[in-house]
Amino acid sequence: MSQSTSRSPIDVESLVENFNYRRVGKYALVVLFLGFFLVPLETGIMTALKTNSAIARSLPFAPPAGEGFTLTNLEYAFSQLTNSFVNSLLMAVPATLLNVLLASMAAYGLTMVSWRGQIAVFALFLVGVFVPYQAVLVPLSQFWNNMFPLARMLEPLFAAIPFLQGGHSRLVPLTITHVAYGIPICTVLFRSYYKSLPNSLVEAAKIDGASITKIYRRIVLPLSLPMFGVVFIYQFTQIYNEFLFSFTLITGSNHPAAPVTLILPAIGSSTEGIDFGIRMSAAFLAALPTIILYVAFAEQFAKGLRTESG
Amino acid sequence: MARLELDDVTKVYRGDDDEAGVVAVDDVSVEVPDGDFLVLVGPSGCGKSTTLRMIAGLETVTAGEVTLGDRTINDVSAQERDIAMVFQSYALYPHKTVRDNIAFGLEESTDLSDGEITETVEEATELMGIDDLLDRKPGELSGGQQQRVALGRAIVRDPDAFLMDEPLSNLDAKLRAEMRTELQHLQEQLGVTTVYVTHDQTEAMTMGDRIAVLDQGELQQVGTPLECYHQPSNLFVAGFIGEPSMNVFDGHLQTTELVTDSFTYSFSAESVSDLDLEEESELVLGIRPEDIELGERSTDEHRFEAEVVVVEPMGNENIVHLQFDDTPTDDEFIATTEGIPSVSSGDRVGVVFPEAAIHLFDADTGKAVKNRRLSFTGTPAEMLQ
Repeated sequence: MSQSTSRSPIDVESLVENFNYRRVGKYALVVLFLGFFLVPLETGIMTALKTNSAIARSLPFAPPAGEGFTLTNLEYAFSQLTNSFVNSLLMAVPATLLNVLLASMAAYGLTMVSWRGQIAVFALFLVGVFVPYQAVLVPLSQFWNNMFPLARMLEPLFAAIPFLQGGHSRLVPLTITHVAYGIPICTVLFRSYYKSLPNSLVEAAKIDGASITKIYRRIVLPLSLPMFGVVFIYQFTQIYNEFLFSFTLITGSNHPAAPVTLILPAIGSSTEGIDFGIRMSAAFLAALPTIILYVAFAEQFAKGLRTESG
Repeated sequence: MARLELDDVTKVYRGDDDEAGVVAVDDVSVEVPDGDFLVLVGPSGCGKSTTLRMIAGLETVTAGEVTLGDRTINDVSAQERDIAMVFQSYALYPHKTVRDNIAFGLEESTDLSDGEITETVEEATELMGIDDLLDRKPGELSGGQQQRVALGRAIVRDPDAFLMDEPLSNLDAKLRAEMRTELQHLQEQLGVTTVYVTHDQTEAMTMGDRIAVLDQGELQQVGTPLECYHQPSNLFVAGFIGEPSMNVFDGHLQTTELVTDSFTYSFSAESVSDLDLEEESELVLGIRPEDIELGERSTDEHRFEAEVVVVEPMGNENIVHLQFDDTPTDDEFIATTEGIPSVSSGDRVGVVFPEAAIHLFDADTGKAVKNRRLSFTGTPAEMLQ
């Protein structure tokens, strides 16, 4: 066999030997799934770059040709979304940061510090993971509108901030809501990570004389940075993409504080019908922040997942 | 620096529904004088680590008192105890450099200025010979270097007591022997009260001023290494201390003879009458491998015939596995001889159990009823100290 390899550039014998129906089947399946996931995406991008007439005349996944190519869709979608981008980030970034920090502290307290009744408290956190959003929508709007109208209290303050309007104060209760509902799942994630950290580190720090808060700040926090990456990406995506809470607390796409998820369904639809080019452009622009985040933190994400499972 | 005292210390782990709980440490009392080196030794799960962790403040004490210096520290938190501990896994902070690892304890437990801390850290690292590693992270260090950093972290704080939890068990054999000596020197030099936990009886014998042998949470014996070796208080200590272990044979007493399955050992009349034993009491005869003499077959009353099963030459000594002819089971016993092996597998030899070297234990309680006679006057305990 080695002789035939050295003589002919194509080694037919070993090709036939390696031919294996399982392998063929496996690769066929991979190609099929690749197409299944990538074609809609590709179709979306192509549609975003086409004029309306090109969309009507060409195959959905065919690239735009000649006069069919345009950037006006993207430009229009961007101008429509600019404000809501700011709103979304204004809400999602602080909410995620606060969320991750509090969850990490809670997990530390529940995992690495021992006190009576911590299992019961952790059980409450677990229950919190499973509370369906739909079930709390009415109480939520009751609470923020009637019982504790924080948005209304903060309205004058927000009106005084340049570039913002009084209506933006509604982002504050929304942020707090996201923090509250995100803590349980993030705590569970952090807890599994802290369980994998060697207990002797905390014990060594104790013997070195560090208090519980110092142990968190100087030992546990620096060690959990990879996990912070993972949880941050996960939770940012959750909050950024969330619709129901935004819809309940901000109410509509016309509101100055409307985040991306509220604007998106309205873009490109009018009485004349749906403008697919604008729709697709808006969808891609809306997805961009999460994609950038994944790419930027990809390494840390992988590292965090590795340490968690290892 | 201070003396450490454990007074009837008990640790019970209680399960949620298990009322009785698991007794990990049962009524242990030991005193470690100021500057002494005590080794806690025993098999896995004997409670030695739990005892150490109670001294450190990492486990609560169920009953009894732990006293360090002149204060009872049962309810003092680990942070306030002024104790340093070296962990089996070293527990170095992976994100900190060697310098920061060692400085951490000083920063947290003293009010020294940054300059003083830097100076103290550098002194300690020089002492440990790791002053060229100050800016490395633990992950970049070898096991031996990590061990030194862990020790440096302990000594830099100049604590009242050092606690060491099997600190050498992750090192290879050669390095372990080196570190053993170095640790001893270090402890002598610093004169800090030290409690050292190990399951390795060699470490226990060579390092400690005194040994405390634990089994199943109970203290078996506290004494100098040689006391524990030559005057074991019970069968467990006799078997645990010494490598290879003491040979034991079950038997019962008939007037002045001990009858075992394999041989009948007759004692001189006075030695047995001193012991005040009842006729037919069940006893265990013990003899250390190096006390067994191998030689020609003869009819000496303490000489028996046995067959050599295996000879393991170690260079300086030979470990000879022997077996009696009429043993119902294939129990072997071991003798060690010095020099070039004079016997080989399959040989039939005479073995002598000198009466002076015989230990006798009560078969029921395991308590020593007769230990070997040592060839000096005065009480053995005095002589051994």
